[in-house]
Amino acid sequence: MGEHVASGIEKWLLDKTGKDIYFWNFIVLMFFTLFEVGAVFFEKIPGTEIEITRLMVWGVLIGVGIIKGYGIAAYFMHLRGDPRIYTRTALFPVLFVLLMLWGIGLSNPEAVTELPAWCTPDWDYATR
Amino acid sequence: MSAHNNHVENSTWMHAVMMAGIFAVIGIIAFAALGIGVANQKHDVYDDAKHDYHDAKEDPLTTSEELDDLYHKEEKAHLSFLTYRVAGITILVMCSIYAIFLGIGGLVNALQPDDDHGGDDHGHDDHEEHHGSASPIIFSLGVMLFLMGFPSFVVACKALMSQGGTFVFSDILVSLIGLNFIMLGVANWWKEDLPFIGHGEQIATSAPFEGEHIRKAGLWVFIMSEIMVFATFFSSYLRVRTEWCTDWAIRASEEGDSCYGVAEGSVTTASDLLRYDVATLMPGAINTFALIVSSYTIVLALKTAKDKNWEAPTNFMRFVLPDKKRAIRNYLIATLALGSLFIVLKLVEWSHLVAEGFDIGSPQGSIFYVATGAHGLHVFVGLLVMLYLIFKSDTVGFDEDNGQGIEYFGLYWHFVDLAWVVIFPAFYLY
Repeated sequence: MGEHVASGIEKWLLDKTGKDIYFWNFIVLMFFTLFEVGAVFFEKIPGTEIEITRLMVWGVLIGVGIIKGYGIAAYFMHLRGDPRIYTRTALFPVLFVLLMLWGIGLSNPEAVTELPAWCTPDWDYATR
Repeated sequence: MSAHNNHVENSTWMHAVMMAGIFAVIGIIAFAALGIGVANQKHDVYDDAKHDYHDAKEDPLTTSEELDDLYHKEEKAHLSFLTYRVAGITILVMCSIYAIFLGIGGLVNALQPDDDHGGDDHGHDDHEEHHGSASPIIFSLGVMLFLMGFPSFVVACKALMSQGGTFVFSDILVSLIGLNFIMLGVANWWKEDLPFIGHGEQIATSAPFEGEHIRKAGLWVFIMSEIMVFATFFSSYLRVRTEWCTDWAIRASEEGDSCYGVAEGSVTTASDLLRYDVATLMPGAINTFALIVSSYTIVLALKTAKDKNWEAPTNFMRFVLPDKKRAIRNYLIATLALGSLFIVLKLVEWSHLVAEGFDIGSPQGSIFYVATGAHGLHVFVGLLVMLYLIFKSDTVGFDEDNGQGIEYFGLYWHFVDLAWVVIFPAFYLY
């Protein structure tokens, strides 16, 4: 319990580089944070004329957030090596988060007219 | 004292009092250097810039470009002054709280007779039945009293800071009693935990955590509830954000957003003020790196504690990590320093935002300050717990048997980092 036991790619990294998974996880987290800040700060992809649009920023922020979250939870918090019950405990609130997101969507003023039909059964009064 | 010796002399607690003295000195020096020395110099520069701007405004020969330039210089000088003043005051207040926390906790335990070894004894005897601890109940009672008196406590604090109203001692009485109970609970907790050498850890006997350490399972359940707390902040932010036509959304209207007809500047979020300039984005970005590095240093502290064959490095790091005990302590001190840096930069950043007119009075200001403030409070509570870990690492010490103390605290600290992974992009970058 506690310290992470190296296996698979973690063991390979340890053997090849002499640095453990904590070190590499730390490097990955630092890199992606730089990437995240850069994506917002630059208006164009450096060295190109390609504009960084809002959708691209969303993609980067959500993608990087998932990678960083996984890195912290799986390796620093040892969820990858610990019994599954801890992962289940950590993920339990996700159910409520999804419910809240659903609520956010439904309570948005535009939801009445903009949501797809499958999402608004018997809401025809809105468009009547 | 060896980690395998579970008898702790009460005089050991005087070490905490000594640490309190060190923090008090650090706070006073930092305040004198940054909050007074540098800040006063910056204030002179700010005064000059202010006069230059006002003189130029009176002068009919000044062009609008020159006036703009002078205005920006004045604004920059003001923010620079605020940076040092707020940093100095924050370090002083934080170090004072550290000193009070360690000082009172240490003194309460040091003043007890030596034959009294606390009420929990979970490290005393493997065969002795666990008989619980009163500390959580005392602590909770203290928190309840503190929060009951909190509204009038805020009124009294505002009066003390000359922000209106009259200071009446009875306004802070209930909260003060609460704080005393909190300290008593914490001191008792420390006394129970300090002799713990890793034997006699309670194991869950029923599903779903059967066979697991109860403390660890409890911590994960606590983290689960914390995820819910931050999820409510985040969802309320999303809820209002989906309705705001921010400047960014207005500029992107051609992409199909429904912001036509809404004037720019109608809704200014914190990220509108922060993300376009390196100087304004810097505190938040440094804080993100500080939390990631601090997550790594606490992992290194745990790794060192659990390593039976730990050897001191042979390069320059041997000065920082001369032996296992001091290596763990120094990793924890580094974590404390990084966490403290986080709080200082956060308050500096807040002071800049308030100076620019982004205060808690608007919906976007309210959700920003409440969410980032709640996160900052979690960091600060973590730092207070870290003080005890540093004290324990410097006296009793951590090793492969009792290193789980660092592990369990680390789980909380990583969660705080994880929460920032969501807050930073949402509130600062988007």
